Amino acid sequence: MDIDDILASVDRNDVSTPESAALDHQLLTRFWVAERGVSELLPWPEALMNRMMERVRKQIETIEDLAASSSDPTTTNNSNNNPTLNLKLSILQTDLSRTQYLLRSILRQRISKLTKNSMHYLLRVSSAASSQPSQQHPDSQNNSDQQPEDSIPDLTAVTDPSPLSSQELDFLRAHQTLLAGHFGASFLGSFPAQLRRLDDNAGGVSMVQGPDPREVVFVRCLVESVGVVVPPGDGVEVETVGTEMRMGDVWVVRWEGVRGAWERGEVEVL
Amino acid sequence: MAFPLPRGITPPEISFLAEMEMVTILPRQRLEGLELLGGPVEPLLPPRRASLPLWLALLLKRQRRANILPPTWLHPESLSLILEIETQHHEYQHAFSPPPPLPGQPSLRDRGQRPVAVPRYTPDGGRYYPAPPFLPQNVAQDHVPSGEPPSLPFHWLEVGTMLLDAASDDLVDPDQTRRLLKELREVRTAKIRSGVDVLDVASTGGGGVALTGVGAMEVGEGRGFIAGVVDGLRKIGASKEQARREQMAEDMANGGYDATQDDDDDMEF
Amino acid sequence: MSYYDIDSILTDAQKLPCTFELEVPGLGILEGNPGDNIKAGTRIDLPLWLGEMLSIGARLGTSRLVTLDIPSALSERVMNALKADPRTVDLRALAPHFYSLSERVLELFEEEEMVDVLINTFKKRASEIADHAHNPKGALGDGVEFLRGLDETERQLFRVAHDSAKETRIWAGEAKKR
Repeated sequence: MDIDDILASVDRNDVSTPESAALDHQLLTRFWVAERGVSELLPWPEALMNRMMERVRKQIETIEDLAASSSDPTTTNNSNNNPTLNLKLSILQTDLSRTQYLLRSILRQRISKLTKNSMHYLLRVSSAASSQPSQQHPDSQNNSDQQPEDSIPDLTAVTDPSPLSSQELDFLRAHQTLLAGHFGASFLGSFPAQLRRLDDNAGGVSMVQGPDPREVVFVRCLVESVGVVVPPGDGVEVETVGTEMRMGDVWVVRWEGVRGAWERGEVEVL
Repeated sequence: MAFPLPRGITPPEISFLAEMEMVTILPRQRLEGLELLGGPVEPLLPPRRASLPLWLALLLKRQRRANILPPTWLHPESLSLILEIETQHHEYQHAFSPPPPLPGQPSLRDRGQRPVAVPRYTPDGGRYYPAPPFLPQNVAQDHVPSGEPPSLPFHWLEVGTMLLDAASDDLVDPDQTRRLLKELREVRTAKIRSGVDVLDVASTGGGGVALTGVGAMEVGEGRGFIAGVVDGLRKIGASKEQARREQMAEDMANGGYDATQDDDDDMEF
Repeated sequence: MSYYDIDSILTDAQKLPCTFELEVPGLGILEGNPGDNIKAGTRIDLPLWLGEMLSIGARLGTSRLVTLDIPSALSERVMNALKADPRTVDLRALAPHFYSLSERVLELFEEEEMVDVLINTFKKRASEIADHAHNPKGALGDGVEFLRGLDETERQLFRVAHDSAKETRIWAGEAKKR
């Protein structure tokens, strides 16, 4: 069977076919490689993950049913079937473990990015939620009761946790609250109140650190051509285009130069 | 809860990815078709050939339930030809031999033609263009189109090494194959290392360095170093880049900016 | 400057020649004379973070307290040596965070030629680093001396190149884990 045929037969509206399983597997694999290769957290692929979790759940049921039938004494009369049954089981289990490895690696990589730059992502999600520039802590300088936890932004207005999943946002808020409480109890509590924040930028150095979008990535160009862009900045108000990559090319380029093309599926991260 | 792995997939993970490549097998027993999370597997009906992911082919091979038909490129003859391209051709003195074309990309023979990338659509409506390991780059071919030079697929080193390990009795001349793979690896590693000299074009905005034809394991081996050099060069050149951008902003404000002047940044290894 | 990055903090502690433009009462402690005044025209080495802060007036165009100079690690003499042969210069002896220091200095001074010299230096030394890192037997001969002279950025580069070469050899079965 040719992969082309498998993919060509995918019906966009029917995700229950074996062919759509192949496509989702490819999408998941590509996303895994990208998440592992890019320093910033990629947008959570909600629909894909939901479909994958559902498939994994069903596959586990299938495996359990098969395993039950192999140990069922009433079916031992067709024991000459058992050799392939065991083979089938070991294939299904290997396939399941491989998929679970991908899922687990994606989740762990994302958690590692989130905890490394926790304040960055919390502020990003909360500022996207409030249309006004998030009013920075009214009387933060004078409040003598100030605790490190006060640096954690209010997330009640957040309706779209992107690029995090809502579970990841819950995790991150809980994580940062614990961390801030621990810092407060172990050393920040004995500092003057105005030095207890975790989002200070006194002295021109911000405590909030984010990933650097200028770090380079390895990409393959999948369409006729893709231009490497330079985002606006340093006084230049528009996006400009530099080098042009052609189909099948592999390039070392800045992540910010190809992020848009990656979102459109025109390049893949290697 | 630290994630212990560095950025970018590691050699064992690259190997794991390469195990998703499709290979051709000759089954020695029957097995009904299966629906895996990785996609459907066709029924095995000896003596009919079947295409399976490499991990499954290796699983069957280790249990002597199948033989693996080596991909066309893994024959000593093909490898010698590729080695010749890598070492003798002036055009590829500093570049890798050309990789197999993607679907819709003209092959080496009709290089003049324009590529046409045809997307498939994901259930979410996004565009999807398949690439290795999900292209039939490692299946056995009975008829190689004449005039088509052999080429190394993206996962050449992993597929070659794994087949030598687990299925050497299915290969044409395993010792010769092993020697050729080793030689190819050395020649190509030297090319990556000598490429440091052009890495500064990847260190400015909009710039980049082409590594077309590079293999997955070679990316894995060079990633940390290449990224480190480019990021180092970017930081050293940051003040100069900023000055250039500010000059550009000024030129744009005066209407004197020519959008094409920035375009000569690309360079090949 | 990055808040949690130790290399960035250490870079900011590297010293820079500063000349006082005004007499400052009671600042003699910087010269090792607590209680005394510091006189106009006094030239002392101060950590980058302090020198930068004191020189801010200069950049705002108001009266300045100190003027900064390029540190000796990046002097004309060093640049000439790097132009002649980047591989033989012991960068670590000049400054443990040689390149990070250069980046900070280049933010303060416009020195286009220095950028070019440093970029060439970094590239030339990087390919030498790659050669040593891929040698499974480790550094030998003059390699030892070269590697000893690497600055912190280069050491990290060596480590990452060495580790990924080793991991690939382990995968290929050519080397054992640990």
